[in-house]
Amino acid sequence: MASSIALSQSRPLGFFKRIAQILPGLLLLAAVGYAGKFLERSFTAYGKAHHLTLPNIEYVLWAIVIGLVIANTTGVPAAFKPGLATYEFWLKAGIVLLGSRFLLGDVLKLGGISLVLVAIEIAVSLVFMTALGRAFGLKPKLTTLLAVGSSICGVSAIIATKGAIDADDEDSSFAIAAILALGAIALFIFPLVGHWLGMSDQSYGLWAGLGIDNTAEVIAAGALYSDAAAKVAVLAKTARNAMIGFVVLGYALHWARKEGTEGVGNKAAFLWAKFPKFVLGFLVISVVATAHVFSKDQLTSLANLSRWAFLLTFAGVGLRTNIGEMRKQGLRPFVVGALGEVAIAFLTLGLVFGAEKLLR
Amino acid sequence: MTQQHESRTKENKPATSRFSLDAWAVTLALVLSLLVWIGWIKHIPW
Repeated sequence: MASSIALSQSRPLGFFKRIAQILPGLLLLAAVGYAGKFLERSFTAYGKAHHLTLPNIEYVLWAIVIGLVIANTTGVPAAFKPGLATYEFWLKAGIVLLGSRFLLGDVLKLGGISLVLVAIEIAVSLVFMTALGRAFGLKPKLTTLLAVGSSICGVSAIIATKGAIDADDEDSSFAIAAILALGAIALFIFPLVGHWLGMSDQSYGLWAGLGIDNTAEVIAAGALYSDAAAKVAVLAKTARNAMIGFVVLGYALHWARKEGTEGVGNKAAFLWAKFPKFVLGFLVISVVATAHVFSKDQLTSLANLSRWAFLLTFAGVGLRTNIGEMRKQGLRPFVVGALGEVAIAFLTLGLVFGAEKLLR
Repeated sequence: MTQQHESRTKENKPATSRFSLDAWAVTLALVLSLLVWIGWIKHIPW
């Protein structure tokens, strides 16, 4: 009895304690994100006032750069970390809200094309990364984690696979560090290559969605190109994320057989547990928007809510990127990841150009 | 296991949510969409 009273009293306190833990980091995300937005406006206004032709630097880039500078100079105090970790929550909420900007027909058409390209990309990337890991003498489970991380969806895929194949913490932190470092690099390189090749918004968005690993970096790389490219990138990446359960299930069965351990019991339950639920939320909002439930002004408000959620996400991308920490993780997994990423970038670029020709 | 030890174990165990991060994010997005639809949230500027 005494313990049940103690537990029921500790619940509301626990909730407020959790809010208090999250608040400093959340405020930091908002401050960095808003500073990015403020700098974008000020930079443009300065150019106009002084009749200068300055490049249009989007708030996305400002927010990421400010975050990177803070994280790698002064560092982020521990009190801010729980709040910074919420960037993934804002990312997913932002993607669901973004569903309002898609008509179901577009989702099915672009999503259908994306799914075909995603299937090819995943199959080739898994085989290539596995061969590369073996050639460089990486541990088999680390190779699996890197292969899953670079072929599907970065950190979430690595975490899901880690649990399913019972990999070491060290291996997963190696793989996560490599994937994050490469994602941060891709975020800056993809828009430059896209502009250099004169890619259309749709082609570039598709390429970013297929070629960059982590969802936050995909959206940032898309937004750095254009708003339309970001939309396509989100859709392609969402199609890629939807495959996570199947690949993790495949690896779970493979490792269970290899190590003679107990395999996966209920496969449907396993797939449901690993399936990213925000994909369903995205589809629900898209169906509702297609049914013209929202007015034009309401759709604008939902799109803006999604932008605010992404603003917090982009700040988080910069703030959690610790270059020193990545350097500590060693060179070999990074080299394997980098070689794999370059190969995947070329492969997906070829796929996108091929799909573009077929669709003409 | 004594009752005292049991209750201590319960208190030490971190509270696990029945909802995943994804589910919370979807819930928030759907609630916000509902509030926009019914007119509680009139306009979100950017």
